Amino acid sequence: MITIQSVSKSFHKQKVLDDISLTIERGEIFGLLGPSGAGKTTLIRLITGAEKRDSGEIFVDAVSVPDRKVLQRIGFMPQNDALYTDITGFENLRFFGGLFGLHGAVLKEKISECLQLVDLSQDAKKPVSNYSGGMKKRLSLAAALIHSPDVLVLDEPTVGIDPVLRRKIWEEFDRQRNSGKTIIVTTHVMDEIQYCDRAGLIYEGKLIACDTVEQLRKMGKGSVENLFFFTKQGENDL
Amino acid sequence: MSCLIIRILKQIESDKRLIGLIIAAPILLLSLIYLLLGDSGYQPKIAVKGLPPQLVTALEKQDCSLITTDKEADTLLRDKDADGVLSMINSSIHIKILENDAVKTGLVTAAVKNALTEYMPAGSMTTEFIYGTETQSMFDTMGYIMLGILSFFFVFIIAGISFVRERTGGTLERFILSPIKRWQIVAGYTIAFGILSAVQSLIVLIYSEFVLNMNIGGKFVEAACVMLCLALCAVSLGTLVSIFSNNEFQIVQFIPIAVIPQIFFSGLIPLDTIPMGLGKIAYAMPVYYACTALKKLIIYHQGFGDISSYLFVLLGITLVLSAINTLALRRYRKI
Repeated sequence: MITIQSVSKSFHKQKVLDDISLTIERGEIFGLLGPSGAGKTTLIRLITGAEKRDSGEIFVDAVSVPDRKVLQRIGFMPQNDALYTDITGFENLRFFGGLFGLHGAVLKEKISECLQLVDLSQDAKKPVSNYSGGMKKRLSLAAALIHSPDVLVLDEPTVGIDPVLRRKIWEEFDRQRNSGKTIIVTTHVMDEIQYCDRAGLIYEGKLIACDTVEQLRKMGKGSVENLFFFTKQGENDL
Repeated sequence: MSCLIIRILKQIESDKRLIGLIIAAPILLLSLIYLLLGDSGYQPKIAVKGLPPQLVTALEKQDCSLITTDKEADTLLRDKDADGVLSMINSSIHIKILENDAVKTGLVTAAVKNALTEYMPAGSMTTEFIYGTETQSMFDTMGYIMLGILSFFFVFIIAGISFVRERTGGTLERFILSPIKRWQIVAGYTIAFGILSAVQSLIVLIYSEFVLNMNIGGKFVEAACVMLCLALCAVSLGTLVSIFSNNEFQIVQFIPIAVIPQIFFSGLIPLDTIPMGLGKIAYAMPVYYACTALKKLIIYHQGFGDISSYLFVLLGITLVLSAINTLALRRYRKI
């Protein structure tokens, strides 16, 4: 379980996150929705410890982050592919697995398991520079899964991906969730909310709603997107 | 076309460091070259042994400081008590000099030549070096300096750029969010490039000896150790510079600041001929320690014991820079 309590963060005196509190339950897909620049990535970076919060608390299973032991349990997939394009897919996974202390036969087994999962077994020996965009994305996901983390943090995992692959990737998230993993995923594509269990809506650094997807739809009079417009209208009325 | 000009100038304007560099670096480097290569005012120390008094008088008028002594010429030169020792052999003047360097040899021979014209214009003189001969090429006497400079330069660039690419490619952000400790990242980088440069040093040394006839004299292991230690320094410096650079371009901008001055202070110019005590700046330059150690090995044919202190200094600089790098990596992960 991940608990975020009144977290705020500013960059150069500009408030990027303002008093965010929410809880992410174990074994659910939690979506962070919001337009570009709303603060989704910053919130994720605070959870992983890449960035320091100005105030508030973040706990992963009662351990305050940042914490190196918590990092061992998080699989992080950044917005860009963040792979080494001059070496093969296999070598990429060997590096990322090694960072988490995997080695020898266990590492090899884990690599082939992850490659199979993302359907890249055939291409493992090719340099990543020869991969297509979708293949890179899948390899990036495999790298996030290599150390069997129980929390997956995915920053815009489906951006720039064709609809068929996009569905496939979400189906994979579904499988991961069903095997007990907690998944935090950011997106600015509203219709992707249908794949989430619960979602938090972030707009200009504030959490404007956080609920089950069903409840959010109801609040938005049928469409979650409306909630952003309601907020914007509310601001304009003031 | 004007839009292109404007865009380029705008881009440059946004990079304050670049503007500073375009203006400051040439000024800095030119001033350095002026100070290093200009009239140094250095007075060569000339020891005279058994010369006719008229010649000594003529020498006294020259721009040099004379020492009258009966000590062994080699001892005087090795202890740096004298830059040249004069004696008479078969009515010709014999100059003994430590090594054929760029500045001192010229100053000593010029002083003697001037004095000689006054005293006996028909007189002849011979020059002898303890290390090397007059017929040695520039490469024989200076080549070792390039060994140091080249290995430093390339490792600095490669390490700096590959670390910056980790950042621009996002891979640093990704792998730093693993339980790896920050010092392990720094150490891993240093060791990986250390292995690379160990291979590089050996190949370069073997090529220099057998193809270019540099006369390393079987000191391969020792010379490779020096180059390796220097390369470790270069990795640490490259990494440090890359932590504070946003792209490859900015790494290249550091070359005039981090690399070129080291070339001047590598031993290319004798340090004690540099005016205003500026030669002491060399003590802050890794390349100086490496080149001095290489000189001891290749020119003076000294052994491991004589260069160990230089290796320790290089390793010390590497350790200090690595510690700074480990701290600086906090920019990317707060634990």
